[in-house]
Amino acid sequence: MVSAFGIALFGFVLATALATALLRDILAVIVVFAAYSLGMALFYAFLLAPDVAMTEAAIGAGVTTLLLLLTIATTVRDDVGIAIERPNLPALVVFGGLLVVMIGTVTQFPALGSRNAPVWSNPEVTQYYLEHSYKDTKVHNAVTAVLAGYRGFDTFGEAVVVFAAGISTLAVLGREVFTRE
Amino acid sequence: MSDRQPNEKPVVRGADGSESAYVESQVIMSTVRVIAPFSLTYGLFLLFHGADSPGGSFQGGAIIGATVLMIAFAFGIEPTRNWLRNRTVVVLAAGGTAMFALVGLIPMAYGANFLEHPFYHEQFGIKTKWGLEAIEVLGVAPIVAGVVSGLFFVIAAGSLPATEEVSEDD
Repeated sequence: MVSAFGIALFGFVLATALATALLRDILAVIVVFAAYSLGMALFYAFLLAPDVAMTEAAIGAGVTTLLLLLTIATTVRDDVGIAIERPNLPALVVFGGLLVVMIGTVTQFPALGSRNAPVWSNPEVTQYYLEHSYKDTKVHNAVTAVLAGYRGFDTFGEAVVVFAAGISTLAVLGREVFTRE
Repeated sequence: MSDRQPNEKPVVRGADGSESAYVESQVIMSTVRVIAPFSLTYGLFLLFHGADSPGGSFQGGAIIGATVLMIAFAFGIEPTRNWLRNRTVVVLAAGGTAMFALVGLIPMAYGANFLEHPFYHEQFGIKTKWGLEAIEVLGVAPIVAGVVSGLFFVIAAGSLPATEEVSEDD
């Protein structure tokens, strides 16, 4: 069962997501989007995924918000008369289609913590890492053992992607230095 | 260590009369001055303790990078940008990638597989754990911290007036 805290959190995330989509003023959208990210971080922590929660809080709520604020701080802000974006019909049709697909998918998921979830009913893969990760690597956090050990090559790819993102930003902006030298 | 230089002259950037997005706020500056040491420590804790508790290099590196952004937002982007050398950012990002590749390539040089951590134990007697720690502490975290803070300053610089772009001789 979902607790009252979970329902309240879900309502908060839903409300901030709707506000992000519908508000017209960009500054308000960024602030509400930061609140949404914070809500999602709490949600991940609520679902017992602290590693994901920390990433969402640092990158989603912190860094992304600052980068967006920095971007609009130097652009012109339209003084729009209306507070709420008027939804346009094609977008609503696409949204409705995606919603049907999403609801169709999510309702097929096993319940949270269910014994019938694939992670329990086919325990060969999951249990292997839980049983062997400490023996193999002497690292207590199985997530770290998988990321840096068993799936180290994938992590190397991700690290290179982050590095490439920094380099390509320099290329797009036509600069050669990050800071003033 | 965080509030050493940037708070000397918080309003340097607006002094040339150009339109500046920076507003000096006592509330924000005091808050960041209190919070920054804690968030930096927390980032370092996640980084160095990530092998035995939730967290790890990506989260730790992101929080360390976010601390730099927080200081820049409170005390002005320009003073922080002048305080943080370009060399530091590049060494963090490129050096992290190189260290990660190096940890992976050394076993290959001896005929083992890429990133084969147990090889370090067999060949040099280095525990497998230290191979993972090396990737986390020397590889991923510097890349994330460097790129996060670098992206912030390069976007800020991209929006500065064109007259300040004289330093492209690097």
